[in-house]
Formats: sequence, C-alpha cells, structure tokens
Amino acid sequence: MTGTANTAILPVATPARVRRAIAELIRPRRAQALVALLTLAASAAISLLTAPLLGRVVDLAVATQRGEPTGSLATPVLSLAGVALVQGALAALGFVLVARLGESVLASLREDFVDHALRLPLARIEQGGSGDLTSRVTDDVSTVSEAVRTAFPEVARSALVIGLTLVGLLALDWRFAVAALLAVPVQAWTARWYVRRSGAIYAEERILTAVEHQQLLDSVGGARTVRAFRLADPHLAAIRTRVDAVIDVAMRLLRLHTRFFGRLNVAEFIGLAAVLVAGFLLVRSGTATIGEASAAALYFANLFTPVNGLLFLLDRVQSATAGLGRLVGVVDMEPPAEPLDPVRAGDGSVKAVGVGHSYTDGHDVLHGVDLDVPHGAHVALVGASGAGKTTLAAILAGVREPTRGSVHIGGVPLADQGQSLLRRTIALVSQEVHVFAGTLVDDLRLAAPAATDEELRAALRTVDALGWVEQLPEGLETVVGSGGHDLSVMEAQQLALARLVLADPPVAILDEATAEAGSAGARRLEGSARAALQGRTGIVIAHRLTQAATADAVVVMHDGRIVEHGTHDELVAAGGHYARLWAAWTASG
Amino acid sequence: MTTPGSAVLRGSLRLTRRRLVVGSLFGIGYQGGEALVPVLIGVVIDRAVATGDAGGLALWLGVLAATFLVLSLSWRFSARYSMYAAVEVERDLRMRLGRRILDPRGGAEAGHLPGAMISIATSDVRYVAGVADMVPRAVAAVVGVTVASVALLTMSVPLGLLVLLGTPPLLFLSQLVSRPLERRSAAQQEEAAQAAGVAADLVRGVRVLKGIGAEEHARERYRRVSRRSLHATVATARAQGGYEGAVLALNGLFLALVALVGGLLALHGSITVGELVSAVGLAQFLAGPMQSAGDIAAVWAIGRASAVRIAGVLEAPWAIAAGETIPAEPVRGELRLESVAEVPGGPGVDLVAVPGTVLGVVADPPAAAALLAWLGRERDPGGGRLLLDGRPFADLDPDALRGAVLVSAHDADLFGGTLHENLTAVAAGDPSGAIAAAAADTVAAALPAGHDTAVAERGSSLSGGQRQRVALARALAAHTPVLVLHDPTTAVDTVTEARIAESLRELRADRTTVLLTSSPALLAVADSVVVLREGRVAATGTHSALLRDDAAYRATVLS
Repeated sequence: MTGTANTAILPVATPARVRRAIAELIRPRRAQALVALLTLAASAAISLLTAPLLGRVVDLAVATQRGEPTGSLATPVLSLAGVALVQGALAALGFVLVARLGESVLASLREDFVDHALRLPLARIEQGGSGDLTSRVTDDVSTVSEAVRTAFPEVARSALVIGLTLVGLLALDWRFAVAALLAVPVQAWTARWYVRRSGAIYAEERILTAVEHQQLLDSVGGARTVRAFRLADPHLAAIRTRVDAVIDVAMRLLRLHTRFFGRLNVAEFIGLAAVLVAGFLLVRSGTATIGEASAAALYFANLFTPVNGLLFLLDRVQSATAGLGRLVGVVDMEPPAEPLDPVRAGDGSVKAVGVGHSYTDGHDVLHGVDLDVPHGAHVALVGASGAGKTTLAAILAGVREPTRGSVHIGGVPLADQGQSLLRRTIALVSQEVHVFAGTLVDDLRLAAPAATDEELRAALRTVDALGWVEQLPEGLETVVGSGGHDLSVMEAQQLALARLVLADPPVAILDEATAEAGSAGARRLEGSARAALQGRTGIVIAHRLTQAATADAVVVMHDGRIVEHGTHDELVAAGGHYARLWAAWTASG
Repeated sequence: MTTPGSAVLRGSLRLTRRRLVVGSLFGIGYQGGEALVPVLIGVVIDRAVATGDAGGLALWLGVLAATFLVLSLSWRFSARYSMYAAVEVERDLRMRLGRRILDPRGGAEAGHLPGAMISIATSDVRYVAGVADMVPRAVAAVVGVTVASVALLTMSVPLGLLVLLGTPPLLFLSQLVSRPLERRSAAQQEEAAQAAGVAADLVRGVRVLKGIGAEEHARERYRRVSRRSLHATVATARAQGGYEGAVLALNGLFLALVALVGGLLALHGSITVGELVSAVGLAQFLAGPMQSAGDIAAVWAIGRASAVRIAGVLEAPWAIAAGETIPAEPVRGELRLESVAEVPGGPGVDLVAVPGTVLGVVADPPAAAALLAWLGRERDPGGGRLLLDGRPFADLDPDALRGAVLVSAHDADLFGGTLHENLTAVAAGDPSGAIAAAAADTVAAALPAGHDTAVAERGSSLSGGQRQRVALARALAAHTPVLVLHDPTTAVDTVTEARIAESLRELRADRTTVLLTSSPALLAVADSVVVLREGRVAATGTHSALLRDDAAYRATVLS
C-alpha cells in the first residue's frame, strides 16, 4: 500500500506513484503513443511553414514596389494551400490517435478502480470509507475523464506549437527567438501565481456548490415537510445564504481569471514589442528582410492562444493529478487475504461460540454470545435498538470479525472459507435498500447472471412481487433505480429478497428488511421474507413480533447478551421479557 | 409573442439591464482593441520596420501598449459585469422558485419528479443566467466585426469585401461539418454518462452486492459498459478529429486566398506591405467574433427552453383553496370531517377527533395517503369538508392552520444541519420531553457527536429507525393543539415502540392526537379507534373491543 492511510479515509497515492501508474498503463500501448506524438509534432511543424510563406508574399510585394525583379506569387500561395491541407489531415489523425490513447488508458484505470473498490472488505468500507469511495467514483473519475478528453489533447497540442514556434523563430534568426523569450518570465511568474491560488478556490467552489445543491435537495425535495412544519422562511433564508456563498466564490474565481489574463496581456505586449523591435533593428542592419520581420511578428501573435490556453489548463491538470492520486490509491490497496485452500461449508447450520465484540476498547457491545441454529431452521432475533442484534448479524455473516469467540457455518470456521466462497454460502440482506440503475432484468441478474427470464419471474413470484412488476410500463424490461421508474420502499425490498432467492445461498440473514415500508407494507414484506427463506437457514432481526411468532425459535437480546431463547409458545408461557412484549403487542395484557 | 417562458427570459434581462449595458460597453473596448492589434502590427511594419524610422517605432509601440492596456482592462471589466448580470439573474430566479415551491398553498411540484424540480432550480436557472452572461459578449462581437471591417475596407475595398464576404460562408461550412459531430457527441455523452452512472451506482450498492456475493458479476457488467463507452468515445473522437482537421484546412485555404488577393494588390501597389500584413492578421482575427455571434443563437435557444420550464413552476396553479382567517385562539383542537370524499358524491368519511383525546385511524394505504394529504392541506378532497373548531379548512390561512394542526408523514424528511437543529427548528419550548418520549435520546447517544452530529441530506446518514424517532421527536416538540401522526414507528423495534406509545399518550394528555396506523402497540393507547374501509367509516370502538368483536380488524392489525 502506498501513500498516507489513516484508519477511516481510503489511501491516496503520491504524485510519484501516480506517474508510475500512468507509465504502467501506457507501456502496453507504447507504439501507439509514439505514433500519436509524432503525428501531432508533424502537424505542428507543418503549421509553422505558414508564417514564412506569408513573409515570402510580403517580400515579393516589397521587391515589386521597389522595382526589383521578383519571382511568382504562385509558389508561396500554392504552398500555403498545400500546408493547409496537410496540416488539417495530420491534425485530424493526431487528434484521433491521442484521444484513443487517452481514452483507453482512462477506461483501464476506471475498470481497475471499480474492480478494487468492489473488492474492499465491507468492514473497511464501513469504517467511514463509503462516502469517500462514492465521491472518488463520481467526482474524481469525472475530473480525470474531463481532463483526458479536453485538457490533455489541448495541452499536448499547445506545448508542441509553442516549442516548434520557438524553433521556427530560431530558424528565421536567433535574435527573434531571444526577443520572444522575453515574455517567458512574466508568463512563468503568472502561471505560478495562478496555480497557487486557483486550486484552493476551485476546491472551495466545489464544496460550496455541493452545499448549495444539498440545500436545494433538502428544501425543494422536502417541500412537503417544510410546509407542514412552517419552515419556509428559514429555508428560504438558508437558500439565499448558500446561493450567495456560491456567487461569492464564483466572483472570486472570475476575478482571479481576469487578473491572470491581464498579466498574460502584459507578457503578450512585452514579447510582441520585443519581436517588432528586433525586426526593426535586424531590417535596419540588413540582416533580415521585411518579410522575415513580418513572419516573426505573425508567429508571435499566433502564439497568444496556445500559450494562454496551456497556462489556463495548468490548474485542470493539477486537479486531475489529485483525482488520479485518489483513484490509484484505491487500485493499490491490497485485497484481503484469502485462505490458500478454502473449505466449503458442509450444510447451512450456524454456530456461534462465545462471541464478544467491542468497537472501542473496554466498551463491549456483545458478551459471550452462544447460538446454535440447525440447518434449515428459522430464528428471530428480538430486542431493543442497541441490544447488539445488527452487530451479531454482521459477525454471523462474516462481514465483521468478532473480537472474541468464533463462528462456524456448516461446521467450518468462517476464516477457513474465504470471502468469495463464504458469500455464496451466506447472504446478508441489510436495511439499506439499493435498486441498481438499469432494467429490472439487469438488477436481478446481478445475483444470477445465467438465470432465464422464467427463473427471474419465478423468483419474483416467490416474493409476491410479480404482480407489480407486470403492472410496470415495460414489465421486467422497465428501467428502475436512479433516473428510472421510482420503486416504493416495499417494492425495492421485495426486489432485494428476489435477488436473495436467485443467489440461493443455504443461509440468509435478514436485518431490518421489513422496516420503513409502512405497517401495511411491512406485513406484506413479512410474507415475502418467509417465502424467500424457504429451504434455507434463516436468521431474521424481527421488528414485528408476528415475525417472531412464526419462527422456529426466538432469541431475545438485551445489552449485548442473549437473555431468553426458546420457541414463541415457550417464551410466552415463561412470562419473561418476551411475554411482556407480546402482551403489549396484542393488547391482551 | 409573449409566452410565459419568454416573459421570464425578458424579465430577467430587464432586471439586470444596467449591468448588461456596462458589460457591453467594456466588451466593445475589448473587441475593438483586439481588432486593432493586427492592424497596428501592419502599421509598425510600414512606418518603422520598412522605413527604419526609430521615432516611428517608439510612437507606434506606444500606441500598441495603450491598445493592450485598453483591451486588457476592458476585458476584465466586461467579464466582471457580465458575471454580475448573470449572478443577479441567477439569484433572483432561484429565490423566486424557492418562494413559489415552498408557498403554503403548494402546487408547484405537480407533475414533476423531485429530481426534475432540483434540475429546474439548478441547471435551468444557470442556462437563463447564461443568456445574460452572453449579451455583452454578443454586442462586443458585433462591434469587433465592425471595427475589423472598417479597417479592411479603408485599406482596400476588394480585399475588405473578400474577407467580409468570405468569412461567413467559411463559418457556415465549419458548422456544416460539425453537424454529424453534434449528433454523435450526444450519443457518446449518453454512453459515457452511463458508464459513470453504472460505476457510481455499483459502488453505492456495494453493501447489497456483497450481501449476496454479486461483486464478480457486477465487475463484469461494469467492464462491458466501460468498453461500450470507450468505443463510443473513440468514434466521437474520430468525428471530432475530422471536424478539427477540416476547420483547420478550411481556414488555411482561406488564408492562402487572402494572401493571393492581398499579394496581387500589393504587387500592383494598391496596398502597402504593412496593410497586407494587417489584412492577413484581421482575416485570422475575424473568425473569433463571428464564431461567438454564431454561438449566440444556441445559448439563446437553450435559455428559452429553460425559461419555459421555470415559468411552468412559477405559474403552476395553487394546490388548495386558501382563505385568510387565522384560527381563533385558544385552539380547542376539535377536528371534524364531514362526508369527506375523494370524488364528489362518492362515499364520504365522517369522524370527529375530540379535544384532549387520542384517536386511532386504521385505513388502507391509499386511503391513509388521501387523508394525510387533506389534513396536511396538500390537496383538497373531491367532496365534503374538514373543520377545525367548527371552521372549514378552506376559510383558514393554510400556514396558520398548520400552526394548529401538524401532520407528520412516516417518511417525513429530516434536513441538513445537526440533530439538535432538526429537533429545535420547530420546537415550542424545551424539546427534551418530546425527545425522550420519541426515544430519540438514545439516537443521539449512539451517534459520534451526540446531538451535534450532522445529519446528511434528508437524514440519509441515519438508519431508518433512528430517522423515524428523530422525526417523531420533532413532531412532538412542536406541541401543536392537533397532531396527526402517520405510522410513526414502523422502523422502530417492538420494545421501543411499546415505550413510545405510553410516553406519547402522556405527553399529549390535554391535546388532540390522531394516529394513522395499524400498529397494535399504538392503537392500544388510543381512546377510540376508527376503521376506514372503501372510503367510509366501517367500525368504531376501542382497540380491545375491536380486537374482540371485529375479525377483519383483528386480521388487519395482528396478522
């Protein structure tokens, strides 16, 4: 692993490591890169012929006006036309080659990134890396893509034009080149001045824009709640504050840009005046023709655009490098170690022995939990929030390592199974509902790529979802998820259960899978969950006691301990904690 | 023609007209200066380089310096004033949209998905502001073209005409070759956006993927999408490369033509050598401002389309009939529904929530949603009327009414800020009793910074159960005379739910509370329960009596 890594934030690669990573990505495409570079250079070199050819036209005119014998105008003019055509063709080819190179490198990088991101252990992501990871895959990938698409070709071309123009000036007379270089100190100083300031302002702009966007999401997206609580005035005031903050930073950015270009104007004048003075002196001393002096001035005037463009893109290159560091940082993370010889679980029995856990030292959330769930049995976990149900579920699913004790699935310790095998043995459906963007078919096939449409339908039928799916505008082919058809919480959770049915693991853990759907929806989801658990071992974190009543066994947790364990009837008869809950639930007590 | 859209656009430009005028004046200074630079290069060649006159060199370099100073400062202030104009428009539109959307009478969201509303408030506003930003540039471009034309025509009428008449067809030709590119680019952007979208989507759903062991399949899917996007991008690059090459070649050929004609004129002595240099420079310069003039049409068209969408929100009809009467103080809190129905003449609901009691209402999801919308004044029923203390809702000021009757949906949004800010924003007095009653104190205890923990966008950083308890605490803390709660505890565990039900009853002892739910724990603390079926009241009684006597009720509540 490279770069700095603290416990929560994912690592960021150093600039040196980023350069090496890019070199590694380009290496297999070396020949392609070389051809691209040569084509661009040839195009830029050809373009430099324009100014001396124009100078030649000027010299012809001067000679004629002085009554000296001259050549024909046809040669330089036809050469100009030829230059235009060749330059156009080479530029087109160079652009395509550079774009293809940049885009292939970018595609490899983003694929590697997603590959590694999905490989990260869940516990690592939950350590606070989730938002970080999402922002890398959205913001950083788009910053880098944008740079590859726009800044990279522009920078390459500008740099070549500038370099070759200097060569052209040298060819006319070395003193023209020296005159032109007088602009460089001002440009270099301006670029440094700009890059030092722009990064921070751009970063601030991004943050403030995100804050403004979130405020609009809050106020506009939550308009109903704003009205219900009569919060319109504070919300409008907050919108104004956020909008003004964005405007303020945008104005600061603009002032920076205008000063930047103002300084570059000074450099332009210094260079142009120097080239003209050099022309004046050289023509007077007879070392250069008027045509050459004109060509030098035109050369220099044509540099304004590429120079300004190049310097202006420096900060974009800088932020793309930062983005690359964050992408390469994830790509460089070591995947978790897998056992050399993973052992497959014998059956779907789940056994926890003396499991204890603490997130911070000395503050245990689980104390010596023993649990034995036979193959195919359904167990309901009951307890107040904070009793440790979710932690226990994560430990049983092998997502979190217990501080003490061990977990066996089918008689094999979790550590001996390895994550990739384990994930096929035991599934965890968490409270978080995520509908993947795309068609329903695509969403379901994530769980079982080879499933036929009929198998998908069967899975949906099992979880009582086929009805609403067939009501959708395009049935299974309906686009859902972000930007598509909006599914209700209950529908999204049924979809999660259908994925579980398709993945078909011998053990499934459902954590709060029926919450948030409203009470009527929750009841329907209970039915779906029961059906999805058919034929596998099920551990369900129960929110409604009816879920517990239909389970084979009920485990009541309190303060990280199992306090009661038995069938529903046994526990009701025992008159303990669970019996009191049941009485409150059925209002019979 | 005054459509609502063009009214928004013109209104915005009128609002900021002073800044537009100043920005345009500076823009003229800038483009005029830019046009003069090639002319001055020619003059220096003619008056100094060709003649060897040092005084002339100093004089004209001085003029060149002055021109640079003017164009540089003009650009600076033109850009600033254009931006001032754009942000003035942006601020005005965004605040108008905000006020309209949050108006107590509602209705602005009708027919829009939440995402679309956000995009109107952000992108569309920006496009309209973009028109304001563009106006000074457009004016300046026209002036730049004029200055260059006058300079050219003064040197030589045939050369001037060649450049002036030749440039527009050149730009038109460039536009023509760019057409296929635009089509392809739209398709490519879609593909690229899709690749980016799929990546973000998979990473967001990484917990779900891992839960069912689907990372491998997800990786394969992403690779396919990414490759497709790569092919599309490379195809676009080919089109773009072709376009850039063609434009470069066209400009070069035009330059050769100008050099030919200018060279012939110079050979015949009709123009000076310096004028030839100027003409070549001006021919290259003119493409810039002429291009900007061409872009104006596109910016204007996009701005107008956005203005139409903005106008659609600003001028949306109100969702409810609103009166201006303020509920009489003190509010007793008697809520009465008289034959309230979805459609006029349909079956109606009649019920009364007696002040100081807890009324349970059991309804199927669509009926519950309708009841909630009517009580919260999100829309009016098709028939019948609702009354507070004997006064019809329609006569009352909706904002004042909400001060007396608070409706909190089970998916009520939390807002950005800390947990504490969310709870105190609407609290009447000390919220700690309400926080304890909703079991929200344990939420704060479980969070890293307690009550000062920041709540992410609409509460997404909290678990469902945490969010719901905070939302409930917020509703209780408002201490309104009437409180309507919809399924406030669906994501809360049974142990906590039972505790909440008891404290809720105690906290609301002398006020009116309506619980729209089928949770037995909550219904058990209601003074009476009303069951709605098929748009009318089907049964009334206490929870235990209904459990005993009504099989359908038992099935609904306990199954």
